[in-house]
Amino acid sequence: MGVLSNTSTKVSFASDLRSARSPFLVQLSAMTWRALITTFRTPAAVIPGLIISGFFLLVYEASLGNASGFLPGLAGKSYLAFILPVSVVSSALSGAGVAGQSIVRTIENGYFDKLLLTPVSRAALLLGAMIAGAIVLGLQTAVVIGMGLLLGLQPETGILGIGAVLGLALLLGTGFSGFAVGIALRTGNAAATQSGTFLFFPLTFLTATFVPVSLLSGWIKTAAELNPITYLLEAMRSLLLVGWEGDVLARGLLACLALSALMLSFALVGLRARTRRR
Amino acid sequence: MSNRDIVVENLVKQYGSFKAVDDVSFKVQSGEIFGFLGPNGAGKSTTVSIMTTLALPTAGRALVGGYDVVSEAADVRRVAGVALQEIGLDPLMKSMEMLTIQGQMFGMTRKQAQGRARELLDLVKLSEFTDRLVGKYSGGMRRRLDLALALVHEPAILFLDEPTTGLDPASRRDIWAEVRRLNKQQGMTIFLTTQYLEEADELADRVAIIDHGKIAAMGAPADLKAALGGESINVTFRDLDEVEKAANELREMANRTQTDRKVLRLYLDRAAAAVPTVVTRLQQAGLEPLSLTLTQPTLDDVFLQVTGQRFDAPTEDEAETQAA
Repeated sequence: MGVLSNTSTKVSFASDLRSARSPFLVQLSAMTWRALITTFRTPAAVIPGLIISGFFLLVYEASLGNASGFLPGLAGKSYLAFILPVSVVSSALSGAGVAGQSIVRTIENGYFDKLLLTPVSRAALLLGAMIAGAIVLGLQTAVVIGMGLLLGLQPETGILGIGAVLGLALLLGTGFSGFAVGIALRTGNAAATQSGTFLFFPLTFLTATFVPVSLLSGWIKTAAELNPITYLLEAMRSLLLVGWEGDVLARGLLACLALSALMLSFALVGLRARTRRR
Repeated sequence: MSNRDIVVENLVKQYGSFKAVDDVSFKVQSGEIFGFLGPNGAGKSTTVSIMTTLALPTAGRALVGGYDVVSEAADVRRVAGVALQEIGLDPLMKSMEMLTIQGQMFGMTRKQAQGRARELLDLVKLSEFTDRLVGKYSGGMRRRLDLALALVHEPAILFLDEPTTGLDPASRRDIWAEVRRLNKQQGMTIFLTTQYLEEADELADRVAIIDHGKIAAMGAPADLKAALGGESINVTFRDLDEVEKAANELREMANRTQTDRKVLRLYLDRAAAAVPTVVTRLQQAGLEPLSLTLTQPTLDDVFLQVTGQRFDAPTEDEAETQAA
């Protein structure tokens, strides 16, 4: 329509816009981009998660690495490859908080309401933050895997297997970010959102964290069997230690998808509650 | 030209048993600057949040640019620009980034949005500060950026909720000039809430005074002031005792008297001519005024008249005095 070159720009522009609304993908990429730049402008939000994951990896490997020979299921295998998935999962889960923090920040500073006054799609508001969160946690997880490689990790499934581990972590982290986002939308409170992400704690520790499930017993075994993270860890470990085991991978993927779907619905309900006019 | 009216009919917003907005009706004509005045908690911002689609009315309806704020909210958002009292800026972003995103949300391409952003940054005199994070902006700069954001899509109707609250006089005048320009050059209808009577007097074609959720008075500032009748002599005393004595002494010579803290106001038709008599009578009564001024009625007087209180929020001390 050549609005911009028109000399009577002001008026015709206004009337043109009334019928205009940007395509969903444009909105989504704009929302993703803004969440990304603001996240990278607060490195304090990203660095601790990274340090914690790296720290755990080093400490577990250093203190338990030599003990692995005594674990029946692990005899002759690399404990590093066994413990790395724990670090990967905890990095993905803690990285999942990024999206929640991004949303709660815009709610607190009022920018969220400002955006609600534009024709922006509510879904783009939500997904933009989650995709940005996924990018950040993907990078975090890649760094953790990189550390593992530097420590001498030799995955059975090679580079493809590494990709699969990263992919599972991304799926888990992004799904789980729905939980943080849901709390952010419900409470609009940064502290509540922060403490909500501590759910990753029981999820990463009430599972086959240090030894295979077969070596667990009692209540922790029951907890581990109920915890979807267990199946994800098994899938990652099988990729790094054994090879391509279809059934183990399928179970891991399924657990991951189920958890993600649950968390994502939680986020969507939160979005509806937040944007409903009262 | 598109419909740029605002029509509000019997609007009610109820929270529990409290009516924040109680049967409010008014109409704003296309191209008008309409001032919405009221003390804190009078229902101004609630009315604005309903008109701008952020809240739902309990009863009644509002049309903005011909669109119903409840059933046609998306259309309302397209024709209306909004700068809320709580400035919604992201401190970790830069002005150019925020304006570009705002443009993209309203259907512009990234290039168009950037062009528009540059135009607006120029307009609100922020072109030199595009590299600075918004969090480092001063209050005046933040207001200006917020205004620019509200203007990105060239709205036909602009809502400004207390646009100059907390600004220094120079920044306030900048905003006023901008509001006038938008209204004159683009025929933008402007709905403005303010806690500064001076601002409404200066800018608004018509004002409505809202108090306890109800409209207490409405009309052109000049008409409202004229309705109060004549000029007034304002005599300030040391304490309320003296104010009372003076009121008893002088009541019969005025059309109407009003006490406002330590000031006695005498409304009369030819005030200047009456000054000597006032002075003589006060002297005879042994009352010594601190000051004596002669004024035309102001919107402040109108406000005092219709609501029984001063416009600006009294301090605790003053509130007590008033109650006494």
